[in-house]
Amino acid sequence: MELSVEYIRIAAYLGAGISVGLGAITTGIGSGIIAGEGALGVMRQPKANDQLFRTMLIGQAAAQTAGIFALVISMLLIYGGFDITEGGWYRAAALLAAGLAMGIGAFGPSLGAGYSGGEACKSVARMPKHGNAIMGNMLIGQALSQTSAIFALVVALLLLYSVPNQPIGLSVGKILLKSISLIGAGMAIGLGTIGPGAGIGYVAGKANDMMGKFPKERSKIMRTMFLGAAVSESTAIYSLVVAFLLIFAV
Amino acid sequence: MDNITLAQGIVKAAALLGAGMCMGMGALGPGVGEGFVAGKACEGIARSPENASLITRTMLVGQAVSESTGIYSLVIALLLIFST
Repeated sequence: MELSVEYIRIAAYLGAGISVGLGAITTGIGSGIIAGEGALGVMRQPKANDQLFRTMLIGQAAAQTAGIFALVISMLLIYGGFDITEGGWYRAAALLAAGLAMGIGAFGPSLGAGYSGGEACKSVARMPKHGNAIMGNMLIGQALSQTSAIFALVVALLLLYSVPNQPIGLSVGKILLKSISLIGAGMAIGLGTIGPGAGIGYVAGKANDMMGKFPKERSKIMRTMFLGAAVSESTAIYSLVVAFLLIFAV
Repeated sequence: MDNITLAQGIVKAAALLGAGMCMGMGALGPGVGEGFVAGKACEGIARSPENASLITRTMLVGQAVSESTGIYSLVIALLLIFST
C-alpha cells in the first residue's frame, strides 16, 4: 500500500483524541474525589476551612498532572509538524502508539493521586493541627504515584521523536512487524502503569489517613509508605523495559 | 530478517503485540495488589507501632508473592519477543 500524508494525519489525529479522551476520565474522577472529601471535611470542621481549601486545591492540582501530560501529547500530535511522509509507516504507527501510551497511562496515576488527596482532606478535617505534615505527606504520595505517568510520558515522547525512519525496499511483512511492535510498546507501558499508579495511590491514601489518626507515628508510617510504594513500582519498571525492547530491539 | 514474507511478518507482529499486551495487563494486578498490601501495612503500623518489624516482614513477603504474576508476564513477554 502506498503511503500518503493522509495516513500519517489519520494516525496523529486518532492518537490525539485517544490520548486526551482516555486521559481525562480518571483525572476528572480523581479531582472529584478530592473535592468531595474536602466538602465533607468543611462540614465536619468549619473552623479549618482555610486549611482544607488549600489542601484540596493543591491536591487537585497534583492529581491533574497526568491529564496535563495527555493534553501536551495530543497538542504535539496535532500541531507538532508530523505531516510528512518521511518516516513511512513506522511514523504512522508510532504516532498512534504515543496517543495510546499516554491516554491509557494516565488512568492509574490520576486515580491514585485522587484517592491520596481525598484521604488527606479527610485527615486534615480530623486533625487540623497537623495539617501541614499531612499535606506534605499527600504531596509525596501523589508524586510517587505520578512516577508511572512519567514513564508513560517518556515512552510517548520517545515514540514521537526517536523512532527511526522506515528504510527503503523493505518487504510488507517486515514493515507490518515493526509497526505493530511500536503499537505494542504503547499498549505495554499504557496498561502497565494502571496497576502501579492506582496501588501507590492507595498506599499514600492510607498513610495520609493514618497520619491524621496517629500523628505521633509519622516517621514509621512514612517509611512503610516508601517501602511499599517502591515494591509496587516494580511492575511499571518491567513494562517500561518491555516497551523499550519493543521500540529499540525489534 | 529484513525480507520476510507477509505471513511470517503477521505471525511475528502478533507475537510482539501479544508481548506488549501481556506485560501491560500483567502489571495491572500485581501493582494494585501490592499497593493494597502496603496500604494496609501503613494502617497496621500506625495502630500498633510496637509490631512494626513483624508487619513490615509480612508486607514484604506478601508483596513478593503477589509480584510473582508480574514476573510471569515479564517472562512470557520476553519469550514472545525473542524466541518466536
